Amino acid sequence: MKIRILAAAVAILLATFSCTEVLDRTPQGVYTLDNFFQTEDQAVQSVNAIYNQLRRWETHVFSYIGMTDIVSDDSEKGSFPSDGFFLQEVEDFEHTASNVAPSTVWAGYYDGVFRANLAIANLPEVPEMNENLRARLLAEARFLRAYYYFSLVRWFGDIPLILEPFPANFEIPRTAAAEVYAQIEADFQAAADVLPEKSAYPAADLGRATKGAALAMLARVALTRQEFQAAADYATAVIESDEYGLLTNYSQNFRRAGENGRESIFEVQATALEIGGAGSQYNEVQGVRGEPNLGWGFNRPSDNLIQAFEPGDPRREATILYVGEVLPDGSAIVEDNPNIVGERYNQKAFVEEHPGGNGNGPGNIRLFRYADLLLIAAEALNEIGQSAQALTYLNQVRARARGTNNRILPDVTTTDRDQLRNAIWHERRVELALEQQRWFDLVRTGRAATVMQALGKNFVPGKHELFPIPQGEIDLSQGALTQNPGY
Amino acid sequence: MPKKLLLLATNLLLSAWVMAQFSVSGTVTGSGEPLIGVSVLVVGTGSGTVTDIDGKYRITVEPGQDSLEFSYLGYQTQRIAIGSAREIDVVMTEASAVLQEVVVVGYGIQKKSDLTGAVSVVSTEELVDIPTQSLGQALQGKVSGLQIIPTSGTPGADAIFRIRGVGTLNNADPLFVVDGMILNDISFLNPRDVASVSVLKDASATAIYGARGANGVIIVTTKQGSGAGQITVSAYTGYQQVVKTIDLLNATQYATLINEADVNEGRQPRYANPEQFGTGTNWQDEIFRTAPIQNVQVGFSGGNEKSSFNLSANYFRQEGIIVGSEFDRFTTRINTTRAVKDWLQIGSNLSLVLSTSQNVNAGGILLDAYRADPITVPRDSLGNFGNTAIRGNTGNPLATIEFNDNKSQDYRAVGNVFAQAQLWKGLSFRTSFGLDFVYFRSRSFSPVFEVSANQRNEESDLNVLNTYRRNWLWENTLNYNQEFGRHRVDGVVGITSQDNFGEFLSGGRTRLIGEDPSFFYLNSGDPLTSTNGSGPSGGDWGLVSYLGRVNYSFDERYLLTVSGRVDGSSRFGENFRYGFFPSVGLGWNVSQEDFWNDGGIVSRLKLRASWGQTGNDRIPEYAYTPSVTSGVNTVFGPNEILLPGATVTSLANPDLRWEETTQTDLGVELGLFENKLLLEADVYRKVTDGVLFNAPIPDYIGAGASIRNIAAVLNRGLDMQLTWRQRGRAFSYSLGGNLSLVKNEVLQLDGSMADFFSGGLGIGGQLGTNSRAGFTAGSFWGYEIDGVFQNQEELTQFPTLGTQRPGDLRFRDQNGDGVITAAGDRVVLGSAIPDAILGLNGSLEVAGFDLSFDFTGQFGNEVINAKKMARFGAYNYETSFLDRWTGEGTSNTEPRITLAGQNIETLSTRFIEDGSYIRLRNLSLGYTLPESIASRLRLRSCRLYVSGTNLWTSQEYSGYNPEIFNGLVFDAGIDRGGIYPIAKTVNFGLDLQF
Repeated sequence: MKIRILAAAVAILLATFSCTEVLDRTPQGVYTLDNFFQTEDQAVQSVNAIYNQLRRWETHVFSYIGMTDIVSDDSEKGSFPSDGFFLQEVEDFEHTASNVAPSTVWAGYYDGVFRANLAIANLPEVPEMNENLRARLLAEARFLRAYYYFSLVRWFGDIPLILEPFPANFEIPRTAAAEVYAQIEADFQAAADVLPEKSAYPAADLGRATKGAALAMLARVALTRQEFQAAADYATAVIESDEYGLLTNYSQNFRRAGENGRESIFEVQATALEIGGAGSQYNEVQGVRGEPNLGWGFNRPSDNLIQAFEPGDPRREATILYVGEVLPDGSAIVEDNPNIVGERYNQKAFVEEHPGGNGNGPGNIRLFRYADLLLIAAEALNEIGQSAQALTYLNQVRARARGTNNRILPDVTTTDRDQLRNAIWHERRVELALEQQRWFDLVRTGRAATVMQALGKNFVPGKHELFPIPQGEIDLSQGALTQNPGY
Repeated sequence: MPKKLLLLATNLLLSAWVMAQFSVSGTVTGSGEPLIGVSVLVVGTGSGTVTDIDGKYRITVEPGQDSLEFSYLGYQTQRIAIGSAREIDVVMTEASAVLQEVVVVGYGIQKKSDLTGAVSVVSTEELVDIPTQSLGQALQGKVSGLQIIPTSGTPGADAIFRIRGVGTLNNADPLFVVDGMILNDISFLNPRDVASVSVLKDASATAIYGARGANGVIIVTTKQGSGAGQITVSAYTGYQQVVKTIDLLNATQYATLINEADVNEGRQPRYANPEQFGTGTNWQDEIFRTAPIQNVQVGFSGGNEKSSFNLSANYFRQEGIIVGSEFDRFTTRINTTRAVKDWLQIGSNLSLVLSTSQNVNAGGILLDAYRADPITVPRDSLGNFGNTAIRGNTGNPLATIEFNDNKSQDYRAVGNVFAQAQLWKGLSFRTSFGLDFVYFRSRSFSPVFEVSANQRNEESDLNVLNTYRRNWLWENTLNYNQEFGRHRVDGVVGITSQDNFGEFLSGGRTRLIGEDPSFFYLNSGDPLTSTNGSGPSGGDWGLVSYLGRVNYSFDERYLLTVSGRVDGSSRFGENFRYGFFPSVGLGWNVSQEDFWNDGGIVSRLKLRASWGQTGNDRIPEYAYTPSVTSGVNTVFGPNEILLPGATVTSLANPDLRWEETTQTDLGVELGLFENKLLLEADVYRKVTDGVLFNAPIPDYIGAGASIRNIAAVLNRGLDMQLTWRQRGRAFSYSLGGNLSLVKNEVLQLDGSMADFFSGGLGIGGQLGTNSRAGFTAGSFWGYEIDGVFQNQEELTQFPTLGTQRPGDLRFRDQNGDGVITAAGDRVVLGSAIPDAILGLNGSLEVAGFDLSFDFTGQFGNEVINAKKMARFGAYNYETSFLDRWTGEGTSNTEPRITLAGQNIETLSTRFIEDGSYIRLRNLSLGYTLPESIASRLRLRSCRLYVSGTNLWTSQEYSGYNPEIFNGLVFDAGIDRGGIYPIAKTVNFGLDLQF
């Protein structure tokens, strides 16, 4: 009897021995790198995820606007005085290494870099897929990596240049900006070599990086590097591709109907689905604050910007939304907000009513317009002595702005290099106002100190051209990162 | 028919009585005095009595009933054979002769005198007067070496347990074992169901829990029935209030300082006449309230040699001190045992719990109340919420409360069944299967509302979440227990396996067709807006373990314990799946030696020593392999279709291995003055290698950090417990104290890491702690303030941090290189780990009255007042800002006022505050009705009491509570302003026994 119980006990003990299957677990409901990158679909998804980062808060929304427009002479912070105070610090050049804005974009753009590196490292390993698609996806990933690095290097100068997803150690020092630019150019070039033209993509792929976008980016990089011949060549290649043109109506560029239009070279895709998940807050943060309530009211066009427009330039009206003005879609009149003094808004960021609330903005974020490219071409050609061709491109932009009203915006005729340069810079400012190009233009042309100091800003030359490396990043790098001068 | 039965029964009883019934009487004494209320029981029956005021008793005994049992709280229970005696006088021996006290340890019980490990025991009587649903909160200050941190005052919130410092940087929660069921939390337990709590501290005690023993083990034993059938009813009701509030500016002061900040920062002052605003709104008064708390419990218990039962039902209800928060809980418990055969015993323990919470977003509400400008009214004359966004860029906290309807319910069943068979002489087999099942549902509704542009909801929305989790544990053990002359051996070997899995299902919709709770279902929302999700949740892990222990004692003098466990954990990759955790303990009962003079002052002396290794596997699942996150979607095409995207968002670590703690413990147990004074002290040294932590990595890596084996950490300290207990006829009293000293030090960091930063302050990625080798883990890391720049000359005389002006903080140039840099001039500013934790308690019983008190305190810890540093608008200021610098010589500590900027955003001694406190945790006064009155009311006993919790606190810290801990050591002590404050409570209670 007892023997039997003993036997049963031993049997149970042995049975528990075999219970080791409770140790065998596989991740539930997710792929791991062990079983991902196995199919063509997964390859596409890995690249889609790099585009996803473009639409996020960290990348192209609040801090981004602060570090492109608000920091420049184009605009002020906007909203209530104390709302988004860290952007006020940016506007006033009071920002420290603990400011939220630089640390936000830093993290956002490096997330994009990581996703691109992951795809670039793994796409070649996908066992079976269409080789053309593989090449195209790799080129898209390299385009996007270059895009992220291009913003980072302009904001922060020397930065860690990371080209693989899983670096062996995390203490990565800064790479000289020149080397970063070399990599950016190599990536854009590799993309330009492989990517189809905008018209050659299937319609369903509208919005992906194109050959034209890569060449246009190369032109912008070259101009930033003051490599004028190269800038002129790249820009000319894009112009001659005949893929792009100016829309007849300037303001059409910023309406939903103008998205991915003939003038669009590259833009971040967004839409307002009922369930959300496809929009961005780009529109909301710049939307009218008050009645009608469209957003937060940041990025207030500055007096200085208003004065920059030539008399009668219709682009001023297309750029700035005033109190008492009818909204571009005619739906309402902007009412005075008693809590904000002198409010005005970025009309280019306006979107009509859409599902999912203001935060679910459907507006694509325009990163590169053909007009921008024409002005890059004009600027570069002027610098290499081809002022006639420069004038042609400059005047194309003015002519479109002028429309049928011949009393305004006469053609520029000067062929004096300095005068023409100034005319082109002026044209860039008003044509691209509040499109997040101004700050980079001021810095690349060496005018940031003069322009900002003239406005009474506390701009310290040699310091404020660059943003501080976030202190947390220096700490976590174990001191491998150094701080920018003056911070 | 019933009549007949009754007749028959009466006949039988009468005949038996007539035949042989007799009575036994006597006097019961203890400590030289008669004892009142000693329970006298005829063994094997339900009949019993209690002694009267002179210690006398008389009891009727039937034939065949051969012994009496005498029991009395604080004394050892005695069984005395009746034989032919008709008068039996009994001398009770105090149980504080702890030699005989039995302690529940891992996989068994041991006599306290036989222990070689450091184990503290708390019994139920010490826990019940604190009005809380949480056993953890009731344990605060009771046990040396056990730090209890009431994480928040949220109704229904549990406490954080830390045993002997913080061994790991990771999750340092101890393991919980309830009636043999191994659990990660005990939030479901009703403190009144608890019979005893054993706190296992050293490796000799915890190694048998192997991979999960490194942070200590809490073993909870719930009440079992015994003796005559008994009914208990207890209830209390009380009120709670916030312990303290934060000193903030009134409206006039606020407007004055904001004006001054405007001028300092080059703007026009914005308020024309600050005095016009008067004192304005005190937002803290608006969000806090006096809130009731109630508890009712009914219990039934009884038992004999063959079977026992204990059944209880409890209802607890607590409204929160923040308006809108509420918690209630129903708990039932059924514990039964039954001897089916003389060699086989079976039993079960089962607890069923339903709790409901009305949740508020306490973090947001508290921060808004802290930040909101005092000028704005809570509601205007039309009843609309004041727009606090205009002046200060905050939400209106009252609106947050109003426009949030978040309710959750937790259904939980925890129980086990077991069978224990005697196989051989001293050899028994036990199998036990336990199950912990949790079903949780929550729904959160937000109506359409608009307070301001950043506090509004354009479309009503509803989110629901359902989760379940199940956790089973099967344990099979062989136990052996035998004496051979003066040698005694007992041992246990076993195999156990455990499996945990859970899943969530969630959904959301907007545009509900109604705003009434009857519409709070997804179907009431617009299907076009439907979102949903499901996936694993609550842990997907398994453990297989082989355990064993041998205790050997020679002549009750020399003690040896050897134990060990092999654990296999699914959380680790194939190469590091199994770990082995051994321990050895030695004990010497010096006072049992022949040379010991029994009559001396020292009545008892025991020395202990132990060494052992334990582990920690509390890391997320699958951390060894990188997961691919899906849903990272993007839009393409003229129709703007959302297309799927997927990428890796967190790194993984294929080389994960066990975190291993090696602990050495030396202990002494001392009894003085016939054991009236008991002292137990332990010194220990705990080294944890390969500490597992998700250490932050630079953002430029572009993906989240993975768990790494990152550091070695040392904890060494002293635990001491001292009790003086005196019992007498007229009065009894006791005084006790416990003291825990702990020193924590990071021994080394892995790889090339020199600094280990963590503790994000919420300000531009700024990190608040650094755990360098040689530092206390989670040391606060920032600048020391040397003063305030008084004038332009000082700005040239002393180094500056970037561009500074007169009135700005002057940071100390620590390395004397003439410049202030983050790399060279930041130093340790303190840490959240206290040097000492103290508990003091006492009780007094006289003439039916009982009085008890509990003090708890901690010393030598600091707090970062991080909420003061995070200013993203013209927030209100703490009153300390009033002492600002306004010109040369005005202040050398508080800088000029600004809205934000370097003086505020940069971590420095300015934001470090002393976190020491001492608190009257509990004070209670009770009265037990005299036996004579109680029995007339047909009661066995009746006690009325009034008690107060947290009535008095002495703290330096300006915030609500300096105990700030979210579970991670280097995130500890950072007050970001969102922690639900604790309450002080006064309550009245009644305990009845029938």
